[in-house]
Amino acid sequence: MPGLTQPPQAITGPAVAAGPVIAVRGVTKTFGETTALHDVSLTVARGEIVVLLGLSGSGKSTLLRHLDGLDRPDTGTVTVLGATVSRLRGRPLRALRGQVGFVFQQFELVGSLTVLENVLTGALFRVRGPRLGLWGYRRDLQLAALGHLDRVGLLTHAYQRADTLSGGQQQRVGIARALMQNPRILLADEPVASLDPESSAQVMALIREIAIDSGLTVVCSLHQVDLALSWGDRIVGLRHGEVVLDTATQGLSKQNVMEIYGRVTTSTAELGAIETELGTAPDEDGEPDEQGELDLQTFSSARDNRR
Amino acid sequence: MTLTLERPQPGQADTTTLTPRRSQRRARPEKVAAGLTLVVLVTASVVSLISVDISLPQMIASWSNATRFFDRVGIISFPAPGELLYLTALTVGLVLLGTLFAAVFSVPLAWLAAANTSPGRGWMVFARFLGVAIRAVPDVVLAMVFVLMFSLGTLPGILAIGIHSIGMISKMFADAIEQIDDGPRLAIRAAGATRLQEFFSGVLPQVLPSWVATVLHRNDINLRGSVILGYVGVAGLGLEMSYAFKSLNYSLGLGIAVVIFALCVVMEIVSSAVRTVMLGFAPTRHGIGDRLLRRIGVTGVTADASHHPWTYARIRNAVWGTLAALIVIGSIWICDIKWGDILTFWSYLPETAAKFWPPSFGAYDAPVMLAAMGETIAIALAATILTLLASIVIGSLAARNVAPNPRVRAGFRLVLVTIRGIPEIILAIVLIVVTGLGTQAGTIALAIGGIGLLGKLLADSLEEVRPGPEQALRAAGATRLQVYAGATAPQGMKALIGHSFYMLDTNIRAATILGLVGGGGVGYYLLNAGQGSRYDLVTTIVLMILVTVIMVEGLAVWMRRVFR
Repeated sequence: MPGLTQPPQAITGPAVAAGPVIAVRGVTKTFGETTALHDVSLTVARGEIVVLLGLSGSGKSTLLRHLDGLDRPDTGTVTVLGATVSRLRGRPLRALRGQVGFVFQQFELVGSLTVLENVLTGALFRVRGPRLGLWGYRRDLQLAALGHLDRVGLLTHAYQRADTLSGGQQQRVGIARALMQNPRILLADEPVASLDPESSAQVMALIREIAIDSGLTVVCSLHQVDLALSWGDRIVGLRHGEVVLDTATQGLSKQNVMEIYGRVTTSTAELGAIETELGTAPDEDGEPDEQGELDLQTFSSARDNRR
Repeated sequence: MTLTLERPQPGQADTTTLTPRRSQRRARPEKVAAGLTLVVLVTASVVSLISVDISLPQMIASWSNATRFFDRVGIISFPAPGELLYLTALTVGLVLLGTLFAAVFSVPLAWLAAANTSPGRGWMVFARFLGVAIRAVPDVVLAMVFVLMFSLGTLPGILAIGIHSIGMISKMFADAIEQIDDGPRLAIRAAGATRLQEFFSGVLPQVLPSWVATVLHRNDINLRGSVILGYVGVAGLGLEMSYAFKSLNYSLGLGIAVVIFALCVVMEIVSSAVRTVMLGFAPTRHGIGDRLLRRIGVTGVTADASHHPWTYARIRNAVWGTLAALIVIGSIWICDIKWGDILTFWSYLPETAAKFWPPSFGAYDAPVMLAAMGETIAIALAATILTLLASIVIGSLAARNVAPNPRVRAGFRLVLVTIRGIPEIILAIVLIVVTGLGTQAGTIALAIGGIGLLGKLLADSLEEVRPGPEQALRAAGATRLQVYAGATAPQGMKALIGHSFYMLDTNIRAATILGLVGGGGVGYYLLNAGQGSRYDLVTTIVLMILVTVIMVEGLAVWMRRVFR
């Protein structure tokens, strides 16, 4: 039975090289009156696939933003790839951001640019000066971008405007943009929260596949327990900006997760909210979530292949 | 009753949720003060209107002047075709380059002034204030200064138009930046891009259509304004017209005026067509161009994905881009800019600056100048109230939800476009012929010219009101006029106040300029001071205008805040 905040070292399998690529130590962050993160500590080893689980407003996005230097902690330190993020400014910060790919819930593509131009913005940190249109990018960068688009299955859409694509396609462009950085770490903030179940399954499978192929370290925030259990290697649960759960997904069931949340939650109203939002409450027809059903097969086999 | 019939409108629902709701209502005393100010302003306008002394009988009496005048003019004449073509191209090219100059320099200012890209609050306030200050100096004054510093030619005109336009363009650019979706910009930052890269890849593609529309709109305004620049020696149709009138060759002067009017209307139509395309909707792919492209075998898909295919969108962009580049190159060629002047300019700068400083009242004493400034303000107020009255009628009938049928709307929209096309200066010149020199001509010219702008703004605002209350009144059996008075007009009231202040602000600057051709007010002294080389007096007059415009601007900001 996995306990609360189990040390992460215990779950890193032998296949994963030692040495954390992400180390968060005692980070607290407040925005005005609200505390977004409270004394959060977390280390992630190279090649780990970690899910941040929590309700909206639990601090998942803020934590991810700290890992890319988009937010700075009030107290505590964030170390990514050996560099203390909060101390970086200017060029070194941009170099670090280049090593860290970011996939967003709302995709955040420039709709009026072509798909290819959007992917190429992932290479901006490697070129000097601004770029407008395609001419500005070297041919080898353009070919690399087309390669990444092929990888996510959208090569034929390369010269289409990004806002003409469906949500699932746009998110795959977002992934290609992150890949364009040749990142060592991939951060994903609720990457499928705006997608339909089918596209969600495709996008999640794609992220996992790419992560394993390229040996990426992945930190991905999600709010469905089913999806988190089937997809990740390790779950870090956040509640009100605090880590309440940190354990391997192997052998973990939905009930376990809910029990842990139950232990730290005193109000029944909040537990109800957790059950609804994390997707653990049974549906009206008694079936588990469609999403969980769709995903389980794919991700379990992907994980088995890796081990 | 009104509530039951009200349906949420998809577009409108978004805007209302996006507007941050004030948690507490503004204190009442401020609202009372603002209301009182409004009453005072309206009273002052009416008093001004009376003081300007526009009497219909007198105008009818002076109509004989006009007929006699036109008898003497005979038929209007034009310059030789070749010369006319050259002058037209020169005027268009000069205005275009000036507007382009402003567009380029507005980009950094807009970047500083937009809340989401500005490096700091201090920069933001500085950039916004700079915009207002630049806007307050009339382009004629700038042209006067630049004509002093440069040998005669096109450069003074280009710089005067360019610098003056930065004020408006940078504000519109900044507003556009503030309206973008910030997500993509931050995503690009998250990928390690510099601020400059972030701007080019994340901001520029989003604002470009709206920026092009702004520049085209400003170009129309500048074309109309370029006529007056001729009076202080800037080359083009305006200069030829001023020569013609000065040498009492009215037939030629009016001929050139007609050409300018036609040019303005044509430009207005062209730019409004381009704006519609730019801001509009996804291409239909069924236009003439599309059919042509399909016939010559461009399908938009190529087998080789590694090369950018010539899709419809790419061809269209390339054609428009090339055309724009050719027009700019043509403008530079026809303007025959003396680039050397830009180098020698700096050596003249201290000498010229010394002529303008310190300010003084020159041969006049302070009360005379203040009275002249007061006259300018009176003209602006009187013109604004006249415009307002006319615009309420014409603007309302040009609104889709007020006009009895689409043809009435189209008719009044056409009236508005035509009025907008007439340069105020030409109106003033014609009116001076009819009513004689003085404040009357200036006031009526401004009042008529203003209808084109205020009428359009009002019509647009009325079309944007929520249709719910209108439907409710109609369902209750109200007449068309009752629906208008009970639902449409009250909802458009706030917008009308805002637009009227904008009109007043524009009119104060325009009233100054009209003084140059004998329309009364401080402009007359400005022209005299400039021609008599009394540059210290020019500075004084400019400072008076600056203070007035900034005060009106401040008043408008306050009113908008209180009556939100």
